[in-house]
Order: sequence, then C-alpha cells, then structure tokens
Amino acid sequence: MTPQPVPALQTGDVAPNGALPDGTPLLALRGRPVILAFAPSTWNPAQAYQSEIFARLLREFGDDALTNAAPEFWHALDCRGELAAQLGAAGQRALLLLDEEGILRWKTIVEPGQELRAGQVLAALEALRPAPTTPPNTTAAVDTEAATGGMSRRTFVLATLAAAALLALPSVVTAAPADISARPIPTENRAAMLPIELNINGEKHRLELDPRTALLDALRGNLHLTGTKKGCDHGQCGACTVHLDGHSALSCLTLAVMAQGKAITTIEGLAKGDTLHPMQAAFIKHDAFQCGYCTPGQIMSATALLADPHTRHGSAVEIREAMSGNLCRCAAYPNIIAAIEEAQRA
Amino acid sequence: MHPFQYQRAENNGQAVAAVAKNPEAAFIAGGTSQVDLLKEGVHKPNLLVDVAGLPLRQITDFEGGVRIGANATNTEAAYFPAIQARYPAVSEALLAGASVQIRNMATMAGNPLQRTRCPYFRDPDQPCNKRTPGSGCAAIGGYNHVHALFGASEACVATHPSDLAVALAALDARVQTTGPQGSRTIAFTDLHRLPGTTPHLDTTLAHGELITSIDLPAFAGRSHYLKVRERASYAYALASCAVALEMDGPKIKRARIALGGVAHKPWRTPAAEALLAGQRPTEKLFQATAAAAFADAKPLEHNAYKIPMGRNLLVRALLETSGLQPLAGPAGTAFAASVGGMAGQVATPN
Repeated sequence: MTPQPVPALQTGDVAPNGALPDGTPLLALRGRPVILAFAPSTWNPAQAYQSEIFARLLREFGDDALTNAAPEFWHALDCRGELAAQLGAAGQRALLLLDEEGILRWKTIVEPGQELRAGQVLAALEALRPAPTTPPNTTAAVDTEAATGGMSRRTFVLATLAAAALLALPSVVTAAPADISARPIPTENRAAMLPIELNINGEKHRLELDPRTALLDALRGNLHLTGTKKGCDHGQCGACTVHLDGHSALSCLTLAVMAQGKAITTIEGLAKGDTLHPMQAAFIKHDAFQCGYCTPGQIMSATALLADPHTRHGSAVEIREAMSGNLCRCAAYPNIIAAIEEAQRA
Repeated sequence: MHPFQYQRAENNGQAVAAVAKNPEAAFIAGGTSQVDLLKEGVHKPNLLVDVAGLPLRQITDFEGGVRIGANATNTEAAYFPAIQARYPAVSEALLAGASVQIRNMATMAGNPLQRTRCPYFRDPDQPCNKRTPGSGCAAIGGYNHVHALFGASEACVATHPSDLAVALAALDARVQTTGPQGSRTIAFTDLHRLPGTTPHLDTTLAHGELITSIDLPAFAGRSHYLKVRERASYAYALASCAVALEMDGPKIKRARIALGGVAHKPWRTPAAEALLAGQRPTEKLFQATAAAAFADAKPLEHNAYKIPMGRNLLVRALLETSGLQPLAGPAGTAFAASVGGMAGQVATPN
C-alpha cells in the first residue's frame, strides 16, 4: 500500500473523520476536546514515562469535568497508523488538539532529533488563550500552530495541563528523586508490573517494574544511577557495560527482572569513598578519554578484564581484543590501552 | 516493545509446559539476541519463560567427549580446558565471535538459536518472509552482500550468523532436547533447516522444545575455525569455515568441513570432504577440495566475492589444520581464528 500524500491539516480546519485503533470514529468524540499524541509505537521507557506523567496530571490536577473522563481526552497513537496519515502527522512525533467541534486548535510537530522546548509550548498556550490574542509562533525546530479565539475554557484547561505536563517533567524528577525511584517506569500498553529486587553495588533496591525494562533503564531511569551510559541501546557500543557477578555484561540487553539474584556493579560502585579505583585513576593519568561518554563502560570492561584469570596477563594486542566491545568515537584507544597496562602492572 | 509477561522456570518440565501451551511464548536465557529483537519490534512474544536459572550449566566428560550444559556461557565453554585442548575449533569460533560482554551473557544453547543478521529481517518497515511470512524478501532485489550462496530459496536468502554453529556442525555435535513429546537427540547438522517456503522457521525444534545440552562426541583429530570479517574484531563473519581432520599416519583418514556465512545453516560439503579421505595433505589437494566445496555456489547480485574469499579461506584452514602452515595464533584462541591479524597486531604474511 502506497500512502497518499495528505495536505497538512491547518489550525482552524475541521479534522477529517478517521478512526481510533479501537474503531471509534473521531466524530463520536465530538462534544469534548481531545488530544491526539502521535509517536512511533516502539515502546520507549522515557516516552512511556512522559505519557504517564501527562495522564497523571490530567487525572490529579484537572477540574472535575476533566478528571472524570481524563482517559478519553488523551489518545497515544502510532504515528505509522492510518489516523496519523489522515491528519498529516505520518511518521512524526506530533500533538494535535481538537476542540468540541472537531476543529484543530493546536498542532505541534516535533522534528526528528528535537525535543519540545518550553518557549514553544508557552507561545502555543498564549495563542490558545480564550480571548483573541497574538498570532501563532513557528520555529525551525518545533512547528507549533494554534488557532486563536473562541476556545472553551475546558479545551484551554486541557491544553494547559498537557503542556504543563511536558514542562513539569524535569522539575518533578529533581524535586522528589526518592519518591520517583520507587515508582515503576510506566508503559502505554501496560504489562503486569513485577516486584523486583536488585542488588546494586552491595545495596538492595526494591522496584516495581514492567518486565520489558532493561537493566540499563532501571539503573538510569528508576534509580538515578546515571553513571552507566546509554549509547546504542542495542549491544553494539559497550557504553552500558556493568558487572554481573563479577563478569562484564551489557545492561541494555539485560532485562532488569533477569538480573535479580546477581551482584550488579556499576561505575558508581568502584571507588571506595573518595579513593578512586586504580583503573579510574589510571584513566585520568593517561587522559584515556575525550568526551568521556564511553568511559564508564570502558572502565567496567577494563576492571573485569583484569579480574579475569584468562585475560589478566594479556599483551597489548590481547587487551585490544578483549576491549573490542567498547567503542570510543573520540578514538582515545591508545590512551585507554596505556591506562589498562598501567593498572595491569600495579 | 510489545508487552509480555515474565515467568521464571522452576524446572525443565514446567518450562516446556509453559511455552508449549502458548503459541506466543518463548524461552529466554542469555537474552543478547532476543532482547535486541524485542526492542526492534521483530520478536513479539506475550510470555517469556526464563530458563537461565535451570541447572543446565555444567560442562562434563561424556562418552569420551564433552557434554556442554545448555546454560553454560559462551565464555565458560570457550575456556573450558577439555574443549580448548581437544576441540579448539569450538573455542576459536566462540572467542572470535561477539564481544567479551556478550560472550559472558550468551549461552551455549542460545548462540546457535540466534536469528539472522539480514538487515531487512531487523527492520519492521521492510518486507521479510522470515519476520512476516508472505510479505516478500527485500534482500533478493536489495543489497545482498552478506547473503547466502547455498541452499537459498525464492522466499529467503538469509544466512545463519553463529560462528559456534559452524564449528559444532563440523564436529558432528549432538543436541539433547526435552519437549512436549519427550526427550530426543538431534544431530547438530539437522538442528537448522533451509528456508524453502517457510523461512520463518529457523530450526527443526518443536514449539516448546528446550535444548538441555550440546554434546561433543569423542574426537582424536585436529580442528580449527577460521573467519573473515569487515573489522578485526567484534563483527559477524562474511565467510568462515570449520575443519575437522582425523589422520592416519601421514594420510587424512576422515575430513569434515562446514562453511559459515554462506547459507541458512552451517553448510557441510560432503563431496569436498570425500576428496580428502585417504589422501596426503597437499596445497594442490586442498585447492581442489575448495573448488569442489564451492562448485554449487549460486551468488546473488552483491555476494559473488564470497566464492573466491571462501575458497581461499578453506584452503588456508586446511593448510593450518593439517600442519602444512602454522596457525596465525595460539590454537583455541581468537588469534588463531582471525584472518588479517587482530587490531594492533601485524598480519601474518599469507
């Protein structure tokens, strides 16, 4: 099937009738405002987390009319689906707000590689204010349009909440890390949450996690142990290397639920108080990094290499081979090998 | 990622029952290949039954050979003394594959069950009969430089990516399984199948059939694995071969050859193997053997280079295994298995 090009829907236009994935026609949603959020259907922990915060804000801070029917206002949809094509959002991350009449009131398309920025959201909200006001704002990074005037309070509140949810994300995380860490990484199509206990750097952590959660995402997203880095997320770069029972392993390809019962060591677990692990010290001494993003993974592989009797006494060539699962795009390789050789001699 | 339930298997029987009764269920152990496919949206089980905790990790002497528990990691098997000494092709194939981290995670049963690295299989936006039966094959008219020379079909030209599987095929390993129909032994060469009209099926295992061990039969000969790839390390084979030679004085008593990176399964070459039986090893003989091994190759648009590459690789592997030429590194290590030297190592002249 070849998708037909669809002229982009303009704000102020009545949205063409399409159907939600469950078959509900858009026409049946008339009478209340609706937010359609399009994104790739691939489950992504960060995106799922954002969606959950949207939904929570709608539930917890909306007025009664909104609270009672919150789930019906918010539709997370696949940008590869039919509806996305009909509304001109095919393949894009986009937020569309339709009012009670089915008229497009707000459209935000986030271009690939860009994130929604506070300024754009504020501008859009300003434009949405019920009284006639400023013309829409557009930028190269985020294409935001909003129709002005004539909008009901209810629609405006909904839009405000959705936008506030986006903006609130960082402050929520920094304000209450302890609280957030105990919460699951939420999902769009929620699988049964599992109680999970992880032993990390000698400390036990209890979490409720979706079974899809990779150990890497649990470390970074739930426990805020951000020393372990996400590079490729597909086992090709080694940035996420941790130790499982003393052996190097990729946390991006390890389901958190399967890491239970194992001693997990991350880069945060190497130093003893203020005293760096000898490998960390050697990396600093030999300037074994440039940007530093791959460094935690390099150090975790290097420490495992020296703990392993099969590779401990390896030559420089053998060290290179044993380190081949850790890529460094700054190409600090000669210094990395020098650092490992020094730690090897120590 | 498609949502799934997770269950930790308590014993073999319970694991088999849990998967057998649910057509959308799958086993998981090391997860290195599977979690990646889950993230890609290629693999969509609704239930994962975790067999990593089952007591299937022992490597033991068995009937004059070695029995490798399904859950032994690739690292554990590669460095197991009896394997490294008596079946160096297995250690070489393992250590020349993937990275340390992945070898530490991947299991011996999981490695041969990894899915193809055909890029079209891994992209849900492309047609692929292996991923979505009936959707077509994007590789046949696409960029097919890593695809098959042998045994392909109009439905699929993918190759099997495992190095280990090539060594196990040459050594006539056997696979022990337990499944809904009971336990059985499968010749390793019968574990994988050709694509035919059903390329979505990689193996002859029934749904819910669990590998419990891989057995290396008694073997008193020499074995060796040799691999050529696009990088010096941490890359799949463009072409590879495993050779097992049993000698009778100066003559070859029996030879077994398996080619990797050229078919939907490790590709045994009976006609080429027969040329070696009873013969004294010479370079000329090995060239004739390699010619026979690739005589039936059917290249696609972009992979004809694999024919001379594979022939030369096989000649070199035979020279090295028979002792006419030294190995590029210590037997049973990645250095013996690598063509062109490892990163930072001066290549052995050849």
